[in-house]
Amino acid sequence: MQRFVREPLLHFLLLALFVFAAYSLVSRRQPSMATIDVTQAKIEQLAGLFAKTWQRPPTAQQLKGLIDDYVKEEIYVREALRLGLDTNDEVIRKRLRMKMEFVSDAEAEATPPTDAQLQAYMDAHPEAFREPPTIAFEQVYINPDKHSPDATAAATALLEPLRKDASYAATAGDPSLLPPALPLTDQQGIAQVFGDDFAVAIMRLAPGTWEGPIPSAVGLHLVKVTERAPGSLPALADIRPVVEREWMNDHRNAVEQQRFDDLLTRYKVTVEPVSAGGGPSP
Amino acid sequence: MKYAFMLTTALATCLCAHLAAAQGPENEEGITAANVAAVIKPEYSPYAGRSYPTRPLFGDTHLHTAVSVDAGTLNRVGQEDAYRFARGEEVLSTGGLRAKLARPLDFLVISDHAEMYGLMPQLLAGDPEILSTERGREWYAALTSGNFDTIFATAMEIVGSLSGDEPPIKSEKAVRNAWQAYTALADRYNDPGQFTAMIGFEWTAIGGYNLHRNVLFRGDASVANQTLPFSQFDSKNPEDLWSYMAEFEKRTGSDVLAIPHNGNLSNGRMFTVESFDGKPLTAELAAKRIQYEPLIEVTQIKGDGESHPFLSPNDEFAGYETWDRANLNGTEIKTEDMLKYEYAREALKTGLKLEASLGVNPYKFGFVGSTDSHTSLSTAEEDNFFGKHSGVEPEPHRWEHVVIQAPKPEFNVYGWQQAASGLAVVWATENTREAIFDAMKRKETYATTGTRMTVRFFGGYDFATEDAETRMPATAGYQKGVPMGGDLPKSPAGKAPTFLVAAMKDPISGNLDRIQIVKGWRDTSGETYEKVYDVAWSDGRVPGPDGKLPPVGNTVDVARATWKNTIGDPELITVWSDPEFDPREAAFYYAKVIEIPTPRWTAYDALRFNIKMTDDVPMTTQERAYTSPIWYTP
Repeated sequence: MQRFVREPLLHFLLLALFVFAAYSLVSRRQPSMATIDVTQAKIEQLAGLFAKTWQRPPTAQQLKGLIDDYVKEEIYVREALRLGLDTNDEVIRKRLRMKMEFVSDAEAEATPPTDAQLQAYMDAHPEAFREPPTIAFEQVYINPDKHSPDATAAATALLEPLRKDASYAATAGDPSLLPPALPLTDQQGIAQVFGDDFAVAIMRLAPGTWEGPIPSAVGLHLVKVTERAPGSLPALADIRPVVEREWMNDHRNAVEQQRFDDLLTRYKVTVEPVSAGGGPSP
Repeated sequence: MKYAFMLTTALATCLCAHLAAAQGPENEEGITAANVAAVIKPEYSPYAGRSYPTRPLFGDTHLHTAVSVDAGTLNRVGQEDAYRFARGEEVLSTGGLRAKLARPLDFLVISDHAEMYGLMPQLLAGDPEILSTERGREWYAALTSGNFDTIFATAMEIVGSLSGDEPPIKSEKAVRNAWQAYTALADRYNDPGQFTAMIGFEWTAIGGYNLHRNVLFRGDASVANQTLPFSQFDSKNPEDLWSYMAEFEKRTGSDVLAIPHNGNLSNGRMFTVESFDGKPLTAELAAKRIQYEPLIEVTQIKGDGESHPFLSPNDEFAGYETWDRANLNGTEIKTEDMLKYEYAREALKTGLKLEASLGVNPYKFGFVGSTDSHTSLSTAEEDNFFGKHSGVEPEPHRWEHVVIQAPKPEFNVYGWQQAASGLAVVWATENTREAIFDAMKRKETYATTGTRMTVRFFGGYDFATEDAETRMPATAGYQKGVPMGGDLPKSPAGKAPTFLVAAMKDPISGNLDRIQIVKGWRDTSGETYEKVYDVAWSDGRVPGPDGKLPPVGNTVDVARATWKNTIGDPELITVWSDPEFDPREAAFYYAKVIEIPTPRWTAYDALRFNIKMTDDVPMTTQERAYTSPIWYTP
């Protein structure tokens, strides 16, 4: 071992390595003369910004100051990037992320959709544009408080007279703020007034006769569906602004997602396991 | 159901069914009996030709998004998602939670702050013009620091700067761009008959002494684009706001109205007897105020402003979700002498007083509620409450977080103090901008604390017991009287007014405890008084010897955040006549409908996050509705 350390060949090799390393370091440090071109357009921009702020053009002296300042900024920015000063700066990171998102939004909004695109979108999402099925109905309200203990029996007893005499509906039942009749309304609209369970139940009824009682949040109801309209899908021409609005909203999200997904494929992301307790509580 | 009929047979045997009609109410665009008679000829179908509003429309006239300077500091949800959420779609909150309403709203006014309108998104996007200002750079750095404490402190600083004399960042071009982008978006989402997107903004004067107003437009973008939002940098004086509105109406021929809110945080400045600069109020100013401010937002997340226990010591239901310790930003303690200029019931009485001296009542306003949420999510439901701003969106500790940070810690407002309130309810003939605006103008509106109960309230001289027993109380209501917000005609031969009042529960909320009628009046010597009458209540309760109705009870299971509708009634309806009416005394009457106790939003939080809150945090609530008053003027 000692002999090996004293071996001249090793000394030579080490020396050679040192020289080589030193040379490569020095040669990297050696600035390859970078150029900063202050173009005519840049000067005009600088002067324009000055004019906007001060409401007058810069003097020759001021313009020289602006240019010098720009050159200084450019050099500092380049050097800062070279030294990696941007990497751990939260402000710069957020700003760059936002710029990426805005680029994506701008891209999404740059081209208005064609009719064919919108038609395809409608075909793919008919449920978003379909006019829902609607029904019109009359109802007679039975207040359970007034017919205890058996309000259901009291309600059922009204069915026959209602079926026999069309005009009876105007006076039958108990007073209520509920509308005695609703024009063609979809299930959601019915639920707003009568509650969900009632709306689901009445949408299933066939038109023509008095049926029930159906319970709602406020009591019992005898109902007669008077009209039923199936849902329909309007033509694009009739609802173009709505389709465009929905398409644009979807498209914007999709473009951003797509861009991100594309970028994501260039990265292998590993996340260490999250501890069972989750993050620290705020 | 127990009816409280206080109607005498003399009143019931009505010999003059059309007297009220002949005289007619004076309120603009109101529906008189004569109108109804002209429209509704006797038909076989009782529904044919019906032209009055048949379904209340539920909405929010006060919502902030990321476009508002203060909301934008914490909130990343924009105006488009605010509309999508309001009409029932699922969106992501700033905190990343999936949010969806149980039921869509019928209408929404996105009322972002006029001050530096649209600044925040442009600031966050690093707009060079904004970053070229010193403040812009500082704020930008702080808001993008990723440190919540820094962000919150900056948010509070930005909120504070809203009340300065000069906008810290000024760019008319930026404001115009943002305003026109907003009005265009509103037009795109306005869907007549289904969902109304009314255009509006909030004028935010003055600092801690909350004199804020929301300005609502009847017209569309082409109308609203003829102006820019009037901000407190333009003027901190509400009288100048009215001048701006007058000028706008004259120039465009399209109407606007303003809705003040949070008198409870104005420290005695909202409903005073003076002009803005402390001079005695003039008839001209009083007239201008009531012309442009037919409504007030009486309940919202930052507290309820209908009544205060100090002002109404005999009313055990006075004071609901009360915020009464300081002004808006907690820089000045509130003293008892300020309260009378802050709460709606007292202001209505002040209005009667001023009317005696000025000949005009500046406080002849109706009621709406709204959220004033700054999360872009209009949530007023206890079981689905996303909080005042994005710093207090649902998470286990929000109940103890600061909502509003004051210089003195004792004036800090904490998460649990937020009220999950309220809604603006409008009896409009159809769901359109125009119909809703017109109903607001005639004050045919009511406020709720977030529940969707249906409330009818009519005043006239001829309502009889039978009118509460018909299938369509509203038909009698419009035929024989005026709806909420209206004026009673002169009393025929000193007859006492009668009121047809009815309420139906929200299908998914609690049953009803009671209906009260709140009366305020001015006697012949100019003094004002108030009295609260229980007029209809549930479960056949009998008033005690002191005349007070026993409480309805409580079925809330706090631990499970549920309740049972085994108490209370689904509907209450009655006809009531004022037993102490004096035709020489000016008076107002409004209905207050109270639900049985149900879980407060804090109970849902405690359950869902499995946490224990301190004992001072209320866990149950009694939701309520306040109708616009009906006035009698001798």
